[in-house]
Amino acid sequence: MIDFVHVTRRFGKVVAVNDLCLSIGRGELFAFLGPNGAGKTTTIKMLVGLLQPTAGRVLVGGFDVGQHTRECAQLMGYVPDQPFLYEKLSGREFLEFVAQIRGMSRQETERAIREQAERFELVGFLDDLVETYSHGMRQRTVFAAALLHRPPILVVDEPMVGLDPKSTRMVKDLLCDWARQGGVVFMSIHTLSIAEEIATRIGIIHRGQLLFDGTVEELRRQMAAPDESLESMFLQLTLEERAAQGPVTAREAS
Amino acid sequence: MSRSANLSAGTIDIATEGTPFFAGSLQSVVNSYTARLPSSWTEGTTFSQLRRRIFRTVLWQTIQNSWLQLGVMALLSAVLWLALFLLSADGFLFLKNTIPADLLVEVIEVIFGVFFVTLMIMLAFSSAILLYGSLFRSPDVGLLLTLPVRAERIFVFKYGDAFFLSSWAFLLLGTPVLLAYGVVVQAPWYYYLLMPANLVAFTHIPASFGAIVCLVLVHRILRRPGLLAILAGTVVVFGLAWGVWYVRTALSEQALAPEWFQQIFARLRFTQHRLLPSWWLSSALLEASRHQPVESLAFLGVLVANALFFRQIGVWTAAGLFRRVFSEAQAGQTRRRKVRLHSLDRWLSASLSPLPLQTRVLLLKDFRLFRRDPVQWTQVLIFFGLLVLYFINIRRFSYETYYQGWVNMVSLLNLAVVALLISTFTTRFIFPMISLEGRNFWILGLLPLKRETLLWSKFWFATVGTVIPCCGLILLSDSMLGVSPKILATHQLLCVSLAVGLSGLAVGLGAKIPNFREPSPAKIAAGFGGTLNLILSTVLIVSVVMAAGLPTHLLLGSWTPGGSTIAELHPQLEPLLRWWWLLGTVASPVIGGLFAAVPMWLGIRAFCRMEF
Repeated sequence: MIDFVHVTRRFGKVVAVNDLCLSIGRGELFAFLGPNGAGKTTTIKMLVGLLQPTAGRVLVGGFDVGQHTRECAQLMGYVPDQPFLYEKLSGREFLEFVAQIRGMSRQETERAIREQAERFELVGFLDDLVETYSHGMRQRTVFAAALLHRPPILVVDEPMVGLDPKSTRMVKDLLCDWARQGGVVFMSIHTLSIAEEIATRIGIIHRGQLLFDGTVEELRRQMAAPDESLESMFLQLTLEERAAQGPVTAREAS
Repeated sequence: MSRSANLSAGTIDIATEGTPFFAGSLQSVVNSYTARLPSSWTEGTTFSQLRRRIFRTVLWQTIQNSWLQLGVMALLSAVLWLALFLLSADGFLFLKNTIPADLLVEVIEVIFGVFFVTLMIMLAFSSAILLYGSLFRSPDVGLLLTLPVRAERIFVFKYGDAFFLSSWAFLLLGTPVLLAYGVVVQAPWYYYLLMPANLVAFTHIPASFGAIVCLVLVHRILRRPGLLAILAGTVVVFGLAWGVWYVRTALSEQALAPEWFQQIFARLRFTQHRLLPSWWLSSALLEASRHQPVESLAFLGVLVANALFFRQIGVWTAAGLFRRVFSEAQAGQTRRRKVRLHSLDRWLSASLSPLPLQTRVLLLKDFRLFRRDPVQWTQVLIFFGLLVLYFINIRRFSYETYYQGWVNMVSLLNLAVVALLISTFTTRFIFPMISLEGRNFWILGLLPLKRETLLWSKFWFATVGTVIPCCGLILLSDSMLGVSPKILATHQLLCVSLAVGLSGLAVGLGAKIPNFREPSPAKIAAGFGGTLNLILSTVLIVSVVMAAGLPTHLLLGSWTPGGSTIAELHPQLEPLLRWWWLLGTVASPVIGGLFAAVPMWLGIRAFCRMEF
């Protein structure tokens, strides 16, 4: 469903993402991990069409993001790390706008808004102006907007930031359900315990290089550390001397 | 109906919770989603609805919360419109009564030509600049680009905003002049009917052209960063060279003499070039006023066709370039830049050494923020640069004895103009400082720093930043005009009084009526507090100019070709003028001090009690 084919992105002399090759199929919840500045957000921005690769191709559902951006965008729901909402619209108006842009009919829009508002507990605030929302309410509204058309691919950048424990639980369940029902979840996250808990597959990127691609169990086997937590293995893996060794993936090894 | 059948039929199945909904082959899932992409028409109506909804909310909120600002804006706009209408009507009437009919046609064509060419250039520049901001800096574009929206739709949406923002001033300035012309020449009814259509069609041409230039230029510049420096340098060098050449050659004849007018007319004939949209507009209106509806409609047709053509070129350019250029612009924003202690900082730090350390550090911080924000210092530079150019060229008036009375009047007007300019800068840049600081108060609030120190540092920053240009500009103006030393000294005293008063007012009111929710300084300045600050600043300027400026010029300035003062012409008025001048000169620093002290006191009290 998502394919990065030898993708490289440079900012001047800085190589933010270097020759990334990655394929994610239906039913996978992929957690993209890495230290700050590793290239996670750059990768996500290339996936959703905000940045174009310097080299290589990003494919979504078989479409090249650079050439068929609208088709790719239609297949995805995106929750950015710094979401934008029109302050002078109400939550309902914002969701209606997104639904109409996605080509949903009036009945579908009403039903989808009702469902998502109930799911994210927005019912009481839906007709208030967004400018009066708290950070958590904004985050929930962005989630609702991303899920309105039930996209087969969900891309989320730091999804738990600003959410209370109840909402965090709900989002975790939602992401797992999404993958279980045959959708794809591409998630960038710093909270390694959550990644360990819900991801079916993880990718670790450091200085633009994909250091690992596989399951947590495969990582444990590769690092010969059967009892280590993901956090310990992540910290070991991202040490500078390991980064210098270049990319190693469990799938490649297998 | 089975789920896979539903999907292959091209409908997005919004399933009930908990049931699998991505069943079927990958291709059928993909097809079912992409088949629902909205048409261009649906996209257009959705964006129109978005704009309507935002406009409705903003209008409602403005009426509810900022009625004073809205009222003042409407009133000032109406006053300006009416003043322009009356002035234009008077001017056209004067021309009609004094110039022979055949020459009048030529004069009117030149006036319209210059007016529309100037507006055309301003519109092209302003729409390019506004569109750059809204396409590449606006946070909603990031959202829109991740939705299945055509790139050209985003361009059209943002172009609409830029067009409105850049053209409303044109309509405010253009309509009274054109209406006045119609009334004076007794134009037929269709002149007034065709006027709005002509203006709207015309404004689209430079606005679309500016938009295209914006996209292409950003694309080219981002690919080759050095090009910007070369381009900017070339424009500045050629602009300066042309300015110097024009001033030295075009005004070689005695100002306002018939030969001077002839030279000016000859030089301005380029504004009537047949390929300029401004000439088409001018011709459309003039033909209508001369009872030639067919010719007028033909020119309107040319305008409409070109407006549509340029707009379509803009749409095609955006469709091909926008996503790529946006991606490049994103890369440009993330480039790292090493900053170090600038020699200006060192110089400022050394010159501020008498001040307490905390105040000095805060002043340095504000100066650095100002220096590193080109949006702020370029505006200051452009306006003050234009004033410097004007003051340097104003010297010509002092050479002619005939204009001695003008020299006196112009020097007083210059004082008022500079003060008004300073007041707009204190409103735009100083007033929002506390509001913006409040957003970062978690840093300053945790420092061992008294809150009033923060306000006093802003006050000194504003005072130093306004006294220097204010006194400097007036010194330049007075030197060029050759006014007497007494007037020059009084002007300098008034400049200091005004700068202190305007600075204290902006800092004090900024602390008393802050707006911590708004991140944009321009919007903070345009709010209730900023409007109030501008009104009170105007009151201060009028008070000081009336109290001391006017009597200074009445008593000491020449009002006749022979150089006589009012006191010499009317000796009985001399004692009254002398007392007025003396009391006003003493009162001005007091007025300035009061306008600084009272708001500062109110501001400090409010700021110290404020909870963040």
